[in-house]
Amino acid sequence: MAAPLRHGDDAVANLLAGYVPAGEFDVLFSAQGQLREHWRGVLAELAALGEQGLAERADELQRLLYENGVTFNVHDDTRGRLRTWRVDPLPLAISSTEWQELELGLIQRSRLLDALLTDLYGPRRLIDEGYLPPELVFGHPGFQLACDQSLAAQGPGLVFHGIDLVRDSQGQWRVFADRLQAPSGAGYALENRIILARAMPTLYREAPLRRLASFLGTEHLALSAMAPVQREQANIVLLTPGPDSDSYFEHAYLANYLNLSLVESLDLVVRDGRVWMRTLGGLKPVDVILRRMEDAWCDPLELRSDSVIGVPGLVQAARSGNVAMANPLGVGVLEHPGLAPYLPTLCQRLLGEPLRLPSPESWWCGDPVSLAQVLAQFEQLTLRTTDPGTLPVTVSDLNPRQAEALRESLLARPERYVAQRPIVSATVPVYDDEAHRFVSHPFNLRMFVTREAPTRDSDEWGFQAMPGGLAWVGGPGLPSRRSEVVKDVWVLAETPQPHISQLRQATGPIVVTRDGVDLPSRVADNLFWLGRYGERLDVRSRLLREGLLRLLEQEQDEYADSSLVDLFEALEIEMPEVAPGERRFLALRSALLTLFNDETIGSLPGCFQQMLRNCRAVRDHLGDDSWRVINHLRRHTAALPKVPSASAGRRACEENITQLAAFFGLCNETMPHHYGWRFMDIGRFIERALGTLELLRRVLTDAHEPGIPLWEVVLATTDNFTAYRRRYRSELHPTAILDLLLFDEGNPRSVGYMLKRLGRQIERLPQPDGTPYRSREQRLILQATSTLQLADIALLSDVHASQRAREALSALFADLLEPLEQLSDAISHTHFSHAETPRQLLRMQVQP
Amino acid sequence: MIYQLSHTTRYEYSAPVALCHNEARMLPRELPWQRCEPSRVQVVPAPAVQSERTDFFGNRVMYFAIQDIHQSLEVTVRTRLQTFARPVLPEAWKDDWQTCRDTLAGAAERSCLHARLFRLDSPFIRSDTRLADYARPSFVTGRPLLEAVQDLNRRIFEEFTYDPSFTTLATPLMHVLEERRGVCQDFAHLAIGCLRSMGLAARYVSGYLETLPPPGQPKLIGADASHAWLAVFLPGWGWLELDPTNGSLPGEQHIVVAWGRDYGDVPPLTGVMSGGGEHSLDVAVDVMPVTEAA
Repeated sequence: MAAPLRHGDDAVANLLAGYVPAGEFDVLFSAQGQLREHWRGVLAELAALGEQGLAERADELQRLLYENGVTFNVHDDTRGRLRTWRVDPLPLAISSTEWQELELGLIQRSRLLDALLTDLYGPRRLIDEGYLPPELVFGHPGFQLACDQSLAAQGPGLVFHGIDLVRDSQGQWRVFADRLQAPSGAGYALENRIILARAMPTLYREAPLRRLASFLGTEHLALSAMAPVQREQANIVLLTPGPDSDSYFEHAYLANYLNLSLVESLDLVVRDGRVWMRTLGGLKPVDVILRRMEDAWCDPLELRSDSVIGVPGLVQAARSGNVAMANPLGVGVLEHPGLAPYLPTLCQRLLGEPLRLPSPESWWCGDPVSLAQVLAQFEQLTLRTTDPGTLPVTVSDLNPRQAEALRESLLARPERYVAQRPIVSATVPVYDDEAHRFVSHPFNLRMFVTREAPTRDSDEWGFQAMPGGLAWVGGPGLPSRRSEVVKDVWVLAETPQPHISQLRQATGPIVVTRDGVDLPSRVADNLFWLGRYGERLDVRSRLLREGLLRLLEQEQDEYADSSLVDLFEALEIEMPEVAPGERRFLALRSALLTLFNDETIGSLPGCFQQMLRNCRAVRDHLGDDSWRVINHLRRHTAALPKVPSASAGRRACEENITQLAAFFGLCNETMPHHYGWRFMDIGRFIERALGTLELLRRVLTDAHEPGIPLWEVVLATTDNFTAYRRRYRSELHPTAILDLLLFDEGNPRSVGYMLKRLGRQIERLPQPDGTPYRSREQRLILQATSTLQLADIALLSDVHASQRAREALSALFADLLEPLEQLSDAISHTHFSHAETPRQLLRMQVQP
Repeated sequence: MIYQLSHTTRYEYSAPVALCHNEARMLPRELPWQRCEPSRVQVVPAPAVQSERTDFFGNRVMYFAIQDIHQSLEVTVRTRLQTFARPVLPEAWKDDWQTCRDTLAGAAERSCLHARLFRLDSPFIRSDTRLADYARPSFVTGRPLLEAVQDLNRRIFEEFTYDPSFTTLATPLMHVLEERRGVCQDFAHLAIGCLRSMGLAARYVSGYLETLPPPGQPKLIGADASHAWLAVFLPGWGWLELDPTNGSLPGEQHIVVAWGRDYGDVPPLTGVMSGGGEHSLDVAVDVMPVTEAA
């Protein structure tokens, strides 16, 4: 079917040239082939970019998406597997008329599920009156017995609701699933909106589209109003399962956006019947928990006892009304796919109104009548189990043996199955970034509803739907994670909307002490180790670069560089045995290159992974620019083969050195110089001081082959060749090296400077109140500093020739290394939380 | 009967515990045939927080948290209570088991609806054809339900060996069935699994059994420890208790503490702690009959 346009709009016609709707209902064109009116404006803006312009914007979108990294997936870290999700330059436009209907339907669904939840964990009249079979409710793993009768104490009920929709071939919206325990996607929607606005500013500014900021403002107000005790500033935390979770980056993004503390379970503790956050300044009460963790894992005392990511005693604290839960614990039962066929009746019973948004025709097979209907048309249906997260199977896709097996499992445990009539999806145009044209695809949509706090005019908690959402390309019910293309969702307004340039502006009050002593101790811990691993990667990259350089320069065995033995020791790799007839430099080179294999202990990728792990855990404390650098390094590290060529290896080392400098430089420029940054800095300089001292010791007192080549290595790895030449203009001399790298307090690469910096930072860490004594870490740094300052420099001169000088220097190194090695433990002991993974008093194993 | 009940649980840890949260289901339920005086509860070290609530099944749950560093935990519950004879089934109650099963599945009557939760699989008990196969000889077509369940109860008592050395906390049901041995908890789980596999509703009961033998009668098994049995739902009448460990119907000597779908719903003491290392456990239960004259 061609695409006739009214008014003969050539540019738009050109843009859509060759676009053929693949299904019965297309969001762009009516059945008569007419362009739907509300698309005209958006398409005209896109068409104005021209073919080339559009292709460029599509690339730009992809680059921004990559660099922003909200959708960054933890499982992508494995070598070579990078995410392929891309954002379509054409948003999904929803007209204001369509939206009015949809909005009513979405809000009604939240009201309905909220009322249902209240009944299921309260009087359960719906069961007594026969509206719901008891097996449907009690047989679902989402029904938490421990949460019975606790809803009222937990807060106002549903606070956040994700609704998955598919538009069918008649244009009817149908609800596929409800997301209530950890509904992801709102952060992605926000990200899509922001990067689309950046990549296509005209399109974004001109469109009369509804903005997202007020929705998130509403959510923040609702969360604040939920606090059991009203104080000046409610302490609201976003509880995440942690950096290993698929949605962790979205959690970090939302926490930042909504100005909440991002916490993991070990950051929280239940004491005195309420929830506290472990911070540098001690325990701080938590009022509201925005939860992105499934019910079952939240409390090993009363929910799943094998959970190691839960907070023991959380259910009791919530039940006592001492902390408000968003969403309430137990909400998972509403995700039961078998509820769908009962909702029309439940809506009449609970709300007294007809259900606005239907589901696909469904049957819960635990009901004998439904089971009979399902068996009668078995081949025409899709089936899924009621277990959370299982995907539907279309019976007609199965071979006869598989279909028979499915039928048998269904008959054996019918209550575990839900059948559905397959839906033919509506289609939407999607930009093909290779063919540079639009192609028709089916799509899914996730929309969101949040709670609205009571206002002056109304005592009731209301609901508000987000005028936007996340659309993804794929057949009905395809999980968003498996989709390759996502779209921003634009709800068009009748009139142009006020443009809010800084989305962040409108979200709630500013917390002044964000990075002060309120900093979770775990975050300080992660920042400290981020500093240490980052610096370790730098030190090792520099050493390895020297090793590779030396081998590259020689390329032949006659000039076996005497520094290599000691370099190998500094890098903690064994000198390879050289077989007779084998070329020595080749053997040495392969040995060095094993440091690019992440299976080697102490390898560069291994070091980077450790750094990345800590980075991720503090994602909400790093600036976007710093993050871009990390992403860049990550891509580089992943792209490098396990055994690169020597020159590629050397370039990788240099890339590491430059990018790490950029990363820490950006951190220094953008992170507030509060406690968080101090811990990172301390981590860096402890590592650097240890690395420098070890190197100096190896070169000046412990070397197998002491002499000029090794001294050059020291100056090169510390990048101090230039400084040395300028200052001493002479032959290399160990005493001058010592002066430059040990005693000079003005040289950032000298131990003297590092100790001074550490001393200053440690002085400013939070200290226990009222003690007149120095802390252990203060004493340790003082010890190292005075050791260095009191060293008899005259005695140390002529290290190369004098045995006595070497012994004195060796003793000095030992006296400096000892307190520095203890310093790390002392800081950890004083400042970081040592929450242990909770253990069960009684271990009950459920039979397999 | 009047009893003075005492149940002490003592944990010793090899390393200090900084914080623990616990739930105890050791306070006996109040029932028409069981009147409890207020329990005296002693927790050492003293908890910072302690509260009582009723759980989903109506059991009394005591929550407590100890916030001081400690290396042992001792919980003692003393209760004085009086038990009476259980209600007796009317002579005329002769419904056959299949009718009962179908009534249960279809009736809109509230007690049936509530009982249906106990037909479902639970964490420790899953229906299974092997369980149904074991149960089937007791459930011949048309047999009154009462007769069938008593027969099952008797068969488990006769065909299984009581063997405390055999089981751990939660022995897989199939293992119990194959080996034909176990302890009271296993036999209760087994009977429940059989009944559920036949489409009936059955629940797990935890409690105590007076074990001092009255003169002239054999000593009952399960001395000085917690005991476990089960109850089966008879539509139109209510819950009938069965004790497969002793092949009997529980009476005044069976003291009910709590019930649930299986053991996992009603352990006497659970907890989550930070620290603690290895631990050792001591339990002492005393069920002392009190003579009226005393």
